[in-house]
Formats: sequence, structure tokens, C-alpha cells
Amino acid sequence: MWERIKIQRWGIALGVLIGMCWTVGKVAVPWVVGRGVDQGIEATPPDVDAIRFWALMVLVAGGTSAIFAGARRYQAFREARRTEAALRDQVYAHIQRLHFAYHDRTQAGQLMSRGNTDLQQVQQVVVMIPITISNALTVSAVTVLLILIDPILTLFALGSLPLVNILGKKFSTNLFPNVMRIQEESAQLASVVDETVQGIRVVKGFGAEPAQSGRLRTEADDVYEAAMDASKVRSIYLPAIELMPNVGLILVLAYGGHQVLNGNLTIGTLLSFNLYVVLLIQPLRMLGMIIAQAQRAAAAGARVSEVLSTAPRIVDAPHPTPLPSAGPHLGEVVFENVGFAYADGTRVLDGLDLRIEPGESVALVGPTGSGKSTIARLIPRFYDVQEGQILLDGVDVQKAPLAELRRSVGIVFEETFLFSDTIAANIAFADPNAPQGQIERAARLAGAHDFIEELPQGYLTEIGERGFSLSGGQRQRIAIARAILADPRVLILDDATSSVDPTKEHEIRDALGEVMRGRTTVVIAHRPATIALADRVVLLGQGRIVAEGTHEDLLRTSAAYREVLAAIEEAGELPEETHL
Amino acid sequence: MRGVPSGVDEADRLDREQAKHVLRRALSMMQPYRRNLRISIALIATYTSCILAGPYLVRWAIDSSITPAAEALRAGEAVPTDAVRILNTAIALYVVIAIVHYIAQRTAIVTLARVGESFLRDLRLRVFAHLQRLSMPYYDREKAGVIVSRMTSDVDAMQELVQMGLLHFVSAIMLLFIALIWLTFVSWQLMLVCAIAIPFVVIASIKFQRDSNRAYLTVRDRIGNTLSHLQEGIAGVRVIQAYGRQDLEAQRFASGNQELYVAHMESVKVQAWYIPVIEFAGYFTTAIALGVGGWMVTEDMLTIGAVAFFVLTLSNLFEPIQQLSQLFNQLQSSGAALQKLFQLLDTDIDVNERPGAIDLPKHSTIEVEDVMFRYSPDGETVLDGVQLTIAPGERLALVGPTGAGKSTLAKLVARLYDPVGGTIRMGGVDLRDATLESLRREIVVVPQEGFLFHGTVRDNVRLARPEATDSEVLAALESLGVRERFEAFSEGLDTEVNERGSRLSAGEKQLVSLARAALVDPSVLVLDEATSSLDPGTEALVERAMERLMEGRTVIVIAHRLSTSERAHRVGVVTEGTLLELGTHDELVASGGHYAALYATWVGGLGR
Repeated sequence: MWERIKIQRWGIALGVLIGMCWTVGKVAVPWVVGRGVDQGIEATPPDVDAIRFWALMVLVAGGTSAIFAGARRYQAFREARRTEAALRDQVYAHIQRLHFAYHDRTQAGQLMSRGNTDLQQVQQVVVMIPITISNALTVSAVTVLLILIDPILTLFALGSLPLVNILGKKFSTNLFPNVMRIQEESAQLASVVDETVQGIRVVKGFGAEPAQSGRLRTEADDVYEAAMDASKVRSIYLPAIELMPNVGLILVLAYGGHQVLNGNLTIGTLLSFNLYVVLLIQPLRMLGMIIAQAQRAAAAGARVSEVLSTAPRIVDAPHPTPLPSAGPHLGEVVFENVGFAYADGTRVLDGLDLRIEPGESVALVGPTGSGKSTIARLIPRFYDVQEGQILLDGVDVQKAPLAELRRSVGIVFEETFLFSDTIAANIAFADPNAPQGQIERAARLAGAHDFIEELPQGYLTEIGERGFSLSGGQRQRIAIARAILADPRVLILDDATSSVDPTKEHEIRDALGEVMRGRTTVVIAHRPATIALADRVVLLGQGRIVAEGTHEDLLRTSAAYREVLAAIEEAGELPEETHL
Repeated sequence: MRGVPSGVDEADRLDREQAKHVLRRALSMMQPYRRNLRISIALIATYTSCILAGPYLVRWAIDSSITPAAEALRAGEAVPTDAVRILNTAIALYVVIAIVHYIAQRTAIVTLARVGESFLRDLRLRVFAHLQRLSMPYYDREKAGVIVSRMTSDVDAMQELVQMGLLHFVSAIMLLFIALIWLTFVSWQLMLVCAIAIPFVVIASIKFQRDSNRAYLTVRDRIGNTLSHLQEGIAGVRVIQAYGRQDLEAQRFASGNQELYVAHMESVKVQAWYIPVIEFAGYFTTAIALGVGGWMVTEDMLTIGAVAFFVLTLSNLFEPIQQLSQLFNQLQSSGAALQKLFQLLDTDIDVNERPGAIDLPKHSTIEVEDVMFRYSPDGETVLDGVQLTIAPGERLALVGPTGAGKSTLAKLVARLYDPVGGTIRMGGVDLRDATLESLRREIVVVPQEGFLFHGTVRDNVRLARPEATDSEVLAALESLGVRERFEAFSEGLDTEVNERGSRLSAGEKQLVSLARAALVDPSVLVLDEATSSLDPGTEALVERAMERLMEGRTVIVIAHRLSTSERAHRVGVVTEGTLLELGTHDELVASGGHYAALYATWVGGLGR
């Protein structure tokens, strides 16, 4: 954080310099007006030339103040937005490098606020650096100038103004939690609306409209209460902050007026004092707010720093061993006595030995929690094993260069994640420069080509949040195409047919058969038909291999396997569409 | 994102007529609060007057007390006693004004907030109630995100206005207005000369308002892009890492982020020229007050106090102008939001309750007579000439390909839609003549997926009847034989189900959904069977619970499994919008039609 400010120190210094010029112009105006009154209007006899001179001087001083006010704002925001943008880039790039385990325990929303609201807070304070310095300068310049003119009158004029500063800080401190509360309550209200709209079929089906209205009323009342509380804070501080300069003005009139009556003070000076009181309100108020704001920004900055200082755990070894790049039989995966537990302590694998031959396809079968998905995630080194080692073509995955390893191992995740981009860009994710022919080939293999062609813009159709919405099965096929395009030596399909409409499953199955031919493939499957595609089935239970062999072998020999399959088969479905 | 400046799209900007209409309608919604509204306007007028009264007192003190005293001193005479008295009176009055200012402002903030927040609360409740009354065709037509945004971003735009802007807006306008009158009253000649600045201020403000609006829209757009990119980068981080795209993604993000920076700087540039113009206008008028005003004093056309009044008042005047041009953007976007909300409130409710509607009789025959349906007036005909009678307590399974109309038929029976042609009657009462309340009590639709709402398991069971007692909830669970299942949870029925029910398994969600129906205790059940399979353990439990729920009720089940249709009293095969076959399972299998073919492939598939 501080390094950032150090990089921008000259820009910030320029902002401060501009702020000083602004101060000079700003502070000069009331003084000039006072001179105009005393030396022009009030002179005996009145001096029209002096009046003209001082009026012109108002223009000069005012012009200076005005021009530098604009420049000060521009420079301050320029630096602040630069800081914000640079830090956001850093946060994003760093998030991309952090290991899976970090993302497992960190909520996405948390990281979102690091890159969003927290940086806003930091930005708001960086803006305030030059502005605050020139404001402070203005306050001191005015104070010194007034003391030189009349120390006692200065005390009366400015005496109440420090309270503006204090009230400004308190106001900001007290208002902030209320503003946050309004946002929280609004978010809760929004979630009731969201749920009701998403679940409108349920709401209508059960006739739950009055009940939902009741819930909304509760939330709306909460928002109302929070908003009213915020308004009450405003009603306490805002009038009080405005009252303070009035106190100054009254005292100036009271003491200064009598001084003029006694002939000790000129009308012009009285007028300048009035103008100075008005002039100082804004800088003092901002000085008060900046203190509260800086405290919040410090907390926000600390949170951002925490993310940036978290070291990525899964990184290249100091002297990586390259994977063998040529040879007829690539894609051998060996688990040697592998033990693994997730960060929360759940032990998933225990002394696992597994050898997958090059070109072989293996189906991992087992109940939930048996470690199937973990095995899939260890091969591309999303996590590091705690015991034993995993070898890809004879190289320990922890020693292989990470980029090379990830290129060699393609994975289709259980939950399909596609990016808001064109279909072509999503398929060509591994290689953005892939020619169209290669993209189409991958799509054909994944059984996605036909439906893509039917879309309004074919491969250039935008998908995702703001684009075209695809069915779960279509999305999954695009994810498979994405993995195929990378042409990995090991392909991992984590439950890749789970969200496919049962009637479409056979299409995927055909596609998968094509993809798996001659390529090392690990399939985590729940459907018997998909399992049957594999050369070998490995039945897992409690982090160990319970049985292995071909589908037929296991059906014959393993009771545990039959049990698992029976559980799956129980849910036999009606293949309606294909036959009617 | 917090602190997003408001801007309004060209397409959303209201013209004069629309603005008038929106304002009139908003005011009519504020009827109940009009007393408070009037009070707050009066209070704002009071305290803005106080702001100007201060300089006026200074003027009075200078002209009536200080100047005569100074002249007396200059002439070597004693200060007139009158002068001291007038000065003291002015001071005392100033104190009074300061106090009035404080009280009026403090009260105005709370009073106006109460009006605004009450208005917003009413608006939220009305829009939400209307949203729920809107019938299914509306939800089929509109995207969920757009509907939700009416209640969130549109209302929030106004929330911001009510919280921050409204008071400033009203008081800034009043200040300008009262100040102009007051200055003219003190010296119309000097005011006229100062008015030279007005065209510049007006033109600059209009230009600023336009430019800043455009700049803010760009900023808002790019913030949206950057945030969704950020969100996608976080959600998709595993895929990005799996494909080794970290650096490339970071570069792509940085280029979008750079665009946001540029947009921010564009909007700062707009402010960076506008602020100096307005500030300079302020100093320009001060110079005129001093120069021209001073000359007028020497010509005895004006008093020195009046010059002081001008100088002091002008120093208060130009900040509100700056604020106004900023607030104008906010006001416009709120107007556009309000317009959208009013349009929503004007959307017709298709499935409505007729005046003089009667309650549906319990446990009676359902007659579907020559029903025709299409989802939109110019859309495809989904159902045509459907004729069907369902006896009380009968269980009817509907099968057929997706999109053939079986779900539509079920939804028509539950009156989620009204048929385009023909009638549906229950116990002789046309569903369109029934009260909505009795309709929802007698006919319950249990959807395919157990959709859960935020809250506890108990809250979810009580969805339709929030007033149901704990023992009623338990009885409902008991009747389905699933009470133990939920009581076994660590917090029992008080277990929070989390967002979209991620902590409960699909089967358990389904059980909650069934318990909801049991609690309502309707005479007719419309069941949409789940297509996806459940975990084997719960599957059996759900089957049993469903069986119990169906006991003694008329049931229409949209079957996805032949085992379900096997158990039904009668089966209806819906294809291409017609009821093709209707009869018992055995009859249909024997008849050798569509159903028989379907059954044959199923049996074959299971290897029986």
C-alpha cells in the first residue's frame, strides 16, 4: 500500500503544490475585499480609483483560486484513481495466483469487497491527501493573518470553529455504521424479492403470497428504521455544524461592531473577518471527516494488504524437472502411498497406491466422500499431497513446471464454469489463438458442434450472465470441448455427465468414447453407462481402493460394487423424449 | 458499488409530460404524509431565510449603527447612544436567528426523511404486492433479473435521493430564489449588474449537467464491467488455474480496469472545468459588488451596509449552484426509476379475482371442458380441445414428451393460468369465479424441485401458513412420516437452510416441499415429479412421503417415471397439445398405443 503511494509521490506532491496556489488565492480574496472597503469606499473622500483597483484584485485573487480549485481536484483524483486502478490490478493478479486451498476457505464475496469497496475507501483517502494538506494550510494561513490583524477578534471569530472539525469527525463516525446498516437491510430486502421472484412458482403453487408480503413488510420496516436512524444522526450533526460559524459571525459582530463604534476597527476589516469565518467552514468540515475516513481506509487497506501478502502455496519448485515431451507412451499416472487431508482436517486419502497406464481409461467409483474427486484434483496439483508422491510420466508433479503440468492435464470440473464470452473463446480457453478448425474439431468430439451451429451467432454467440443461456448439458459439453482443445495427455472428467439430460446422455457418451480413445482418462461417474466406457473400474472407499477390475469382473466378484451400482440404478428414469 | 454517481440514459430520460405525470402520481402517493411534507417545506423555507437574515442584520448594524457612529467620531462628536442600542439589538436578533436556524434545520431533516422513507416503504410494499399478484405469463415473459431490479436498483436510486439529495435540492433552490428576491429588494440596480453572471452560470451548468451525465453513465457501465470481470475471475479461478491462464486473465482484467480509470478521469475533467467557472462567477459578482457597489456608495446611491450584504450573501450562493447541478442528475435518474415502477404497477393482472367470487367446494369433481391454451396471444397453441373429468380422490398421471402440454394442463387446473378457450370447473364452479384464497387452499402445486427460502426448516414448512403453530408443523411432518428425519438435525427444525438450501440434500428439500403441502391440507394436489434422481437413501423416504400425502386427495401427477404412472388410477398421455390416450395403466398397455410402446422400451431398458 505505502509502496504505491511512494511510487506516486511526485504526482501527489504536484497536487499539494497546486493546493498551495489555491490557498493563496482563496485566502487573499476576503483581505482584498476588506482593503477595497477601507481604502476605497470608506476613505475620506471616497477613492474611486482604489475601489476599481481592489475590485480588479478580487478578480485576480478569485481567478487564481478558481483555476487552482479545478486543477487541485483534477490532480487529486488523478492520483487517487491511479492508486485504485493499480491496486485493483494487483489484487486481481494475486487472486489468480493463490492456491485452491485459499479459495476453498475464502468466500468469493470477501474477495469481491477487497477489489471493490475496500479499494474505494483507499481511493477516497488518497484523494484527500493533497486536499487535506491545502485545507490545513488554508486554516493556518487564515489564523495567522487574522491574529496579525486583531488577536482578540480572531479568538471570537474562530474560537467556535474547532468544534466544526470535531463535529465533522463525529458525524462521519456515527453516520457510517448507519449507512452500512441501510445497505445491509436493503440487501436482505433484495434477497426476499429475489427468492420470491425465483421461486414464484412455489409461491403461487402454495398460495404463499400473503406470507411473503409479510416478510417483505418486516424487511421494509427494517430499512425504514435504519434510514430514519441515519437521518437522525444527520439531524443532530448537520445543523450543529452550521451553527458554529453563526456563533463566530455573531461574536464578530458583537465584539467587532463595538470595536468599530469605539474607532478601534475598520468596517472593511469587520467584513473580512465575516468572510473568513464563512471561508473556513468547508476546509474544517472536511478536515474532521478525513480523520474518520482515514481510520476506515486504514482498516480497508489492511484487508487489501492481507490478500496481497498471502503467499501462493502451489508454485514452481526451485529447479523444476521438465516432463518428458516425446515418446510413444505418454500419460502414465502413478500414485505412490499418497496420503491427503484437506485444510479442515478431513482425511480423504490414506496410503493410496494407483497406477494408470498410458492411454488407459479408469473409472473411479465410490460413495460420496470416498476420495474420487480428490484424486482428480491432485493430479494437476491443485493441492499438494502430504504423504507419498504422484508421478506423471515418471516426474513428481511437485517438481514439474506448473504451467507444463497444467497443460498436460485437462480437467472437466463437476460444476461447469463458463466465462461471459463467445462460445469459441470459451472452447479456445487453453489456447486463445487456436484456429477455428481446431475449435470445431474439439466441439465435434464433445458432441457440441451441432447445437452450437444452431445458435443465433453460431460459435460467436455470447454466453453467460448477459448472453445466451444454455442448458446444463450444453454447458457441460462446451466444458468438455474446452478440455479436449488443450489436447492433454491426461484427461480428467469429474462427473461430466451429471447435469446432462438423461435422454441426451448417450450423445455425450458417444463423444466421450471418441475422446478417450488412446488417451489416459480418469472418469468420475455415477451412471453405469458412463462407467462401462472405461477400461478399468476402481472402487474406492474411505480413501483406499476397495476393489478394481473391469466393470464385468467387479459385477461378478465385488458385492460392494454391486451395492453401489444398485443404488444408482434404483433411480431409473423414463427415457421419454427419445421414444415418443 | 457504493458511491456510483447517478446518471440517466437518454432513453429513460423523462420528457416534460412524463415528468409531470410521475410527479403528480408520486405526490398522490404521499397524500397520507402531506401534512409533514408541508411542515418540512415551511421549515426549509424558514432556515434558508435565516441563512440570508444574518448578512441582512450585518447590513442593518453597519448602516444604522456603525456608519453613523463612525461619522460622529470623524466629526469629533460622541457616539450616539442609539448606535449602541441598535448594534446590541442586531446582535440579539442574530442570536435568535441562529437558534431558529438550528431548530428549523434539525426538525426539517427528520420530518422530510420521515415523508421520504415512508413513501419508499409504501412503494416497496405496493410494488412487491403487485409483483406477486402478477400472473405466470408475466414471469414467463420478463427476465427474473429485470423484475428484481425494479425492487432493488430502482428503489435504491430513490433511497439515495431521499437520504442525501432531496433536502439539499429543496433548500438550494429556495436559497437561490429567496436570495435573488432579497438582493433585488436591497438594490435592484446592483442586482441587475451582478446578473451579468447568470447566463454564464446557467449555460455552464446545463453543459456540465449533460457532460457529467454522459461521463457518469460511462463510469457506471465500466464499473459494471470491471466488477463482473472481477467476480468471474474469482468464481472461475479454478478453471483459470487449471488452464494456466492466470497471467493472461490478469492482463485482460487490467485493460478493462484501465478503461474504468479513463472513464473516471473523464468525469473528473468535466468537474475540473465546471468548478472553476462557478467559483469564478462567485468572485466576479463579488468584484462587481465591491467595484460597482463601491462606486454607487460614493455616488450616494447605496449604503456601505448594502455592499456588505451583497458581498456576504454572494459568498453563500455559488456552492448551492454547484450542488444543484450534481443533484439534478440524481433527480432525473430517480424520476426515470419511478416511471418504471409506476409502469410496473400499471401492468394488468391476468389471473384476477372476480367481484362476487365464491369459495371452491372441497373434495369435488374437476371437469376440464374443451380447453384451449396458448402462452401469448400470437404464440403457438399449446393445448387444444382437452376434455377430462377427474373424480374426487382419483389419482391421474400425465405422461408425454417435454413441451407436449402435460405441465401446462396441470397448471391450468391449478389456475396458474386461465384457459384461452373452454372452462375448468371444480364442483361445478368455474375456477375463474372462485376466490383466490380458496383456490390456493384447495389446490396446491408441488413443483419438481424443492425450492427453499431463506430461514429455518420450520419457516419453510410454514411457507403458505406462517401462522401455523409448532404442533401443526410437527403434525404435518408426522403425517408424512419424516418428522424424525428433520428432528435428527443438530438444530432440529430450527436449522437454517442457507441460501437456496445448499445444506439440505435434494431429497430433504423435496420432503420440506411435501410437508408444506401437507400443512395446507388441500383437496387437490398437482405434483410435478422430479426428473433428476435423488440419493438412494432419501429416495425411498420421499416416495413414501409422497404416497402418504396423496392419500385421500385428488392428485394430478406429471410423471417422469413409469413406476409412478403404474401406480396411478388412470393415465393420460399428452402429445402435441391433445389428450391422446386416457385410461388405466393396464388398459393402455393392452391397447398397444403410445403408452404401450413407451412402457416396452422402459421395461427393456431396465433389463426386466
